[in-house]
Amino acid sequence: MSEFVFLYRPPQGPSLSPEELAAVMPKWMSWMKQLDENGHLTAAGNPLERTGKIVKGRGKAVTDGPFAETKDLVNGFSLIRAKDLNQAAELAKGCPMLERGGAVEVRPVMQI
Amino acid sequence: MNQYLFLYRGAERPTSPQDAQQVMQKWITWLEDLSKKGHLQDRGLPLEPTGKVVTGTQRTITDGPFAEAKDIVGGFSIVQAEDLAHAAELSKGCPVFERNGYVEVRPIMKM
Repeated sequence: MSEFVFLYRPPQGPSLSPEELAAVMPKWMSWMKQLDENGHLTAAGNPLERTGKIVKGRGKAVTDGPFAETKDLVNGFSLIRAKDLNQAAELAKGCPMLERGGAVEVRPVMQI
Repeated sequence: MNQYLFLYRGAERPTSPQDAQQVMQKWITWLEDLSKKGHLQDRGLPLEPTGKVVTGTQRTITDGPFAEAKDIVGGFSIVQAEDLAHAAELSKGCPVFERNGYVEVRPIMKM
């Protein structure tokens, strides 16, 4: 088995309301539980606030989010075990966020 | 203390195995320093510059590399800091800046 990271990239538009968030949480929990029971979940990871800061350049200038490239926004991650990249991508298809658009970026962990 | 995710973005890849080894040493030194100061919760993982993207309700699978390669996520760590400004200060020692990369500092949602 190899290790992969799922980066959850939400659809563009406003973030979920507290009510919407409460409605999707059980779907995420049930998906995570299923991945875990099938031996694919290394760590559920963490959801992220849609705020933040960017530290950039030689001067290490600190600027506030939200971010210019929102299509590249990451709002959470998980650690996954799969036999290869194709299987990891198949597993990503169950992600509840995809029901409203967005994308899951599936990335092999570097072996060091 | 609060938890923050550092996303390391846009760094140039090492040009040789020797270069990769030097880069790795700098990362180890930096992460050890964060750890000694009690700021490192999880050193996280470096990622290969390859991958796949599963998109939308159709679950379309496309190969990397990615359109926005200049913003590609190359790895992540979880740190502990007093607040967002403090977390951003902590990121300034990161070796990613020597590779023209940058750090995105994001508060972890409290559940």
